[in-house]
Amino acid sequence: MVLEVRSSISIIYCFLDIYPFLFQKLGFNFVISNQATMICIDNSEWMRNGDYSPTRFQAQADAVNLICGAKTQSNPENTVGVLTMAGKGVRVLVTPTSDLGKILACMHGLEIGGEMNLAAGIQVAQLALKHRQNKKQQQRIIVFAGGPVKYDKKVLEMIGKKLKKNSVALDVVNFGEEDEEKTEKLEALVAAVNNNDSSHIVHVPAGSNALSDVLLSTPIFTGDGEGGSGFAAAAAAAAAGGVSGFDFGVDPNLDPELALALRVSMEEERARQEAAAKKAADDSSKQDKEGESTSQDATMSENAATSASESENKKDDLMDDENALLQQALAMSMDDPAATVTTRDTDMSEAAADDQDLALALQLSVQEGAKDQSGETDMGKLLSDQSFMSSVLASLPGVDPNDPSVKDLLASMQNQPEVSPKKDEDKPKEEDK
Amino acid sequence: MACLHDHSCEDHDCSSDWSLYKHIDIPKVSALNEAVPGSVKAVFKAWEQRLSSSEGLLESNEGDPELIVYIPFTSDVKIKSISIVGGADGTSPNKMRAFINREGIDFSDAQSMQAVQEWDLAENLQGVLEYQTRYSRFQGVGNLTLHFPDSYGGDTSRIQYIGLKGEATQLKRDVVATIVYELMPNPSDHKTKSESGGGMSHVE
Repeated sequence: MVLEVRSSISIIYCFLDIYPFLFQKLGFNFVISNQATMICIDNSEWMRNGDYSPTRFQAQADAVNLICGAKTQSNPENTVGVLTMAGKGVRVLVTPTSDLGKILACMHGLEIGGEMNLAAGIQVAQLALKHRQNKKQQQRIIVFAGGPVKYDKKVLEMIGKKLKKNSVALDVVNFGEEDEEKTEKLEALVAAVNNNDSSHIVHVPAGSNALSDVLLSTPIFTGDGEGGSGFAAAAAAAAAGGVSGFDFGVDPNLDPELALALRVSMEEERARQEAAAKKAADDSSKQDKEGESTSQDATMSENAATSASESENKKDDLMDDENALLQQALAMSMDDPAATVTTRDTDMSEAAADDQDLALALQLSVQEGAKDQSGETDMGKLLSDQSFMSSVLASLPGVDPNDPSVKDLLASMQNQPEVSPKKDEDKPKEEDK
Repeated sequence: MACLHDHSCEDHDCSSDWSLYKHIDIPKVSALNEAVPGSVKAVFKAWEQRLSSSEGLLESNEGDPELIVYIPFTSDVKIKSISIVGGADGTSPNKMRAFINREGIDFSDAQSMQAVQEWDLAENLQGVLEYQTRYSRFQGVGNLTLHFPDSYGGDTSRIQYIGLKGEATQLKRDVVATIVYELMPNPSDHKTKSESGGGMSHVE
């Protein structure tokens, strides 16, 4: 039991060392954003219609459940709240909370009736977000607009400006009633709120596709483009690597802390890489200037261009190798740790040939892992004890301890304890003889 | 209350006085109603660079000159005076209201709350005016919120530089993060010594 835990911990450390590097080189961009979201549901009479299966209201409820799940999964600190816009009046069902169960529970037993009050709904949502517990969260409102909109375009634009001023983002799902005026008004509203592409509007026409399916591919789910597209790409890569489509080969449900730790280390590594890259760019630009001080501007720019393309080619090669490495690393995390030692050794040599930095990081992680492994077995401990080794070697027939090659071997053994597991298998065989 | 420098700046190094910008937690600085998100960070720089707009300036949205700037510090500071360099053509703010140690102030809060201090600003394009604070009220400031309700007739407000003069202490005013309040007393949460083995070793 203890051995398994230790080996899994060593794998984790290797993960944390390798992963940030590989992800950065592969160009993923993750930003964990802390958001407070209010979802405005339309429960007006127009939601009884069956043009979205089974009813508009049910399709809407499914979509809401999906959004809540996605938000809480992408960041456990995200909070989501729900309010209804029709019925007897705007009513807040649940204030922003990270408790998914509470949100899903409040969706039961909702009554359909009345007319949707868009302006009041948005204003109440804004108020609910204003009183969120964590003031550092970004504010977002998601509106499901099914029924017709009775407000003027001007009024909606004023509301939009007010949201923009208080840096609240707005996503609108335009479904249900299809009305040119309604579309125009909602587009104007989102345009007024939109600040740097943080607000979106999605039109979902009636049809065989479920509302939730259509929404999955929209920016409402994929976030502001950065975090979302990164996740989608990561899921695809992980799936290709033969692991269930989780971001880091670790199920966030089974081990949320590990998933979070991996993401945080990835972010830190990314920031560090950016700083290093910036510094390298500054240094290389300085070197360019020194080298070409006497030549023309044209040749200087040429050199810069060729060096840029060179580094790009190198980057492509790196990316191919690292794709393979990435698959290996993902597979490793699933497999028995003992079996991975040999695979890791071969991977190391391939990668080391290409990139000095990568080799250093990998070697560090391997040494850490190897140290743990050798500590596990008594045999390992004995083998690392040099005096014992030399005495054993002396007792072997045909081995002269003073032989220079044996001495070299002993010296190298001190430096590379990972050779010891292989020695494990060799030693017992020889002693059995 | 504004005061002009009554000496020429070559004699003594003004920049060392206006060094409180080093204690600002720049990544966490935020502004409301800014036209370009994140542009507020360019406003905090050294005294010598107060007139250079190479890194951009803080501009409010079209048609609305109101601005709120939230400035958190890395340690508690005492603020002696504030200097603001605005934009030309009437885009300089004409009034400033300060709130301290309050997070998440938005426009409705700012308009309804009583500010710690208010100033009428002059158009200070060369950055030689400074506005003194009532020092006793600005001790132990963990974060500062500045609200600029209006500009000199322009359509927008522009701020090029915000300078703070004062001292930094090494203390940090910490907020109690989570407190769990008991709604009903639960005896199992409060085991006395006698119940949990008496606190003395005993032989079994």
